Amino acid sequence: MKQITMEVLHDAASRLLFDMSEEEYRTLYEEFKVLTRQMETIGKIEGLDGLAPMTFPFDCSVDCLREDVAEAPLPRDEALKNAGSVMDNEIKLPKVVG
Amino acid sequence: MAYLDLSLHDIHAALLAKKVIPLALTQEALARAKADKNNAFEFINEKGALEYAASLQEPEKENVFWGIPYLLKDNFSTIGIPTTASSNILNGYVPLFDATVEAKLKNAKAVLIGKTTLDELAMGGTGTTGHLGKTFNPWDPTHERMIGGSSCGSAAAVSSSIVPFALGSDTGDSVRKPASFAGLVGMKPTWGRISRYGLFPFAPSLDHVGFFTRNAEDSALLLNLLSGRDEHDSTSSFKPVERFDSKIGQSIKGMKIAVIKEITDSISNEQLNASFLKSVRALEKEGAKIEYISFGRDLLESIYATYIVISCAEATSNDANLDGIKFGPYYGGSTYQEVMFNARTKGFSELIKRRFVIGSFCLMRENQDVLFLRAQKNRAKIVERTNEILQNHDFIYVPAAPGVAPRFADSSDRLSDEYLIADNHLALGNFAGLPSITMPLAFIDGLPIGVNIMGRAFDETGVYQLAAAFERISGLEGLSVLNKKEGKL
Repeated sequence: MKQITMEVLHDAASRLLFDMSEEEYRTLYEEFKVLTRQMETIGKIEGLDGLAPMTFPFDCSVDCLREDVAEAPLPRDEALKNAGSVMDNEIKLPKVVG
Repeated sequence: MAYLDLSLHDIHAALLAKKVIPLALTQEALARAKADKNNAFEFINEKGALEYAASLQEPEKENVFWGIPYLLKDNFSTIGIPTTASSNILNGYVPLFDATVEAKLKNAKAVLIGKTTLDELAMGGTGTTGHLGKTFNPWDPTHERMIGGSSCGSAAAVSSSIVPFALGSDTGDSVRKPASFAGLVGMKPTWGRISRYGLFPFAPSLDHVGFFTRNAEDSALLLNLLSGRDEHDSTSSFKPVERFDSKIGQSIKGMKIAVIKEITDSISNEQLNASFLKSVRALEKEGAKIEYISFGRDLLESIYATYIVISCAEATSNDANLDGIKFGPYYGGSTYQEVMFNARTKGFSELIKRRFVIGSFCLMRENQDVLFLRAQKNRAKIVERTNEILQNHDFIYVPAAPGVAPRFADSSDRLSDEYLIADNHLALGNFAGLPSITMPLAFIDGLPIGVNIMGRAFDETGVYQLAAAFERISGLEGLSVLNKKEGKL
């Protein structure tokens, strides 16, 4: 397991596209100390290697397709209603390519 | 007693007899909602509710939901009504569609009074992390005690008798634990029984729609209405919808019930243990066969860590769409990454960020095998043991929490068995997707405590049969802060 350091926590937050205050990072670092000990409770369980990871409580696979029924699309005004930056009927963002 | 304090059947009878009309019921519910002192609400739907209630004229004999006021937790999508999941990153967001459960309630002509507050994005168990602050437990007028979470507002509103029922969501125990602290019936049916279309996802492999009522029968009636396959949710079940109230009132003689010994052993509260034991004796007197069994202490102790790893990891990816671009406040930036960075830094509270970092840490390449995949394998092991018990027993019966609602200032030893086992075992129902209901048991110093009944997958009818029998034993049917009872246990 990767060692928990302040750098690792900063890196994780950065990958998640947010930042925290230094005090918040310190709180999180302290929380990890308890969390690591709680995670050891899983480490104690024997016989897990032969088990498949459980992703859902039951099999919920659906092997049929819905009928291909045409539906009215969302009106443009509605679709853009919740966006905070809109120009000429499109969501406006900073240029990606210069 | 006002009509709002009655059961669904009794309110319905009054509506059919035209002793009360939906508009009057709605006005009363709105007046109670506006007088709320427990911080239960994100939004009160005054205008919409009054207009709709006024349009309801002819009662529908077979529809017990006709004209009944209700509330939704603010993580259900409601067309035209602001929905924030109590997170600043969704401030101002107004959904363009209804969640399936809301569509079903609308179709039944129930009246939406408002949206209730929650722990931010439903991630939390204290009712303290939403963007409107703490939600208080109505049973404690000094406002020193929590009601639990994440469905804190719905629990506070139903126990204050503002409405007869309110919907919540339950990923670890977010309906069933607050129900215990609020003296309510809190149900989480089988995973897949109710469509989750329009419920903001937290951890989809664990998320369930749940609800609060003040008696078992109302809960069963609500499940009758809300369950069923939904093409909008591929994980919803094809199982036929039963009449889940059909066995209410029937004897429980011969039912085989398991009590998990490690859970009762880990509870230090002697009054709770005494009331629980009294309830065991009372169930035996009704003919149930109760056996104390061992689950395995190590496995029970590992529930909390397994839950945290899986839920935080799933949340981390699910909430990647909260970027401040398509919805939510826009804070600008010189690149699109900076736009997202600014929105997420300002929009999420500290607790949510910490949960996301924990999830991200568990998913890092170096950690995936030892943390995330191992937690998923341990979940399989825990579920295997749970189902093994339910092969030989019809139900599992345990205290829902280790005591009364904690004070905001209380702290607990997070490595103790009382915390790891007694305070977190309800996640068993989420891991295995089993139907699980909390019922009020008794009072300690004027504060409610609860028990939990868990049944086999898709046996909600049996769960309600036992829950209703338990209600007769406890004498706490219809409990609220406006309808206080002593109970028999």
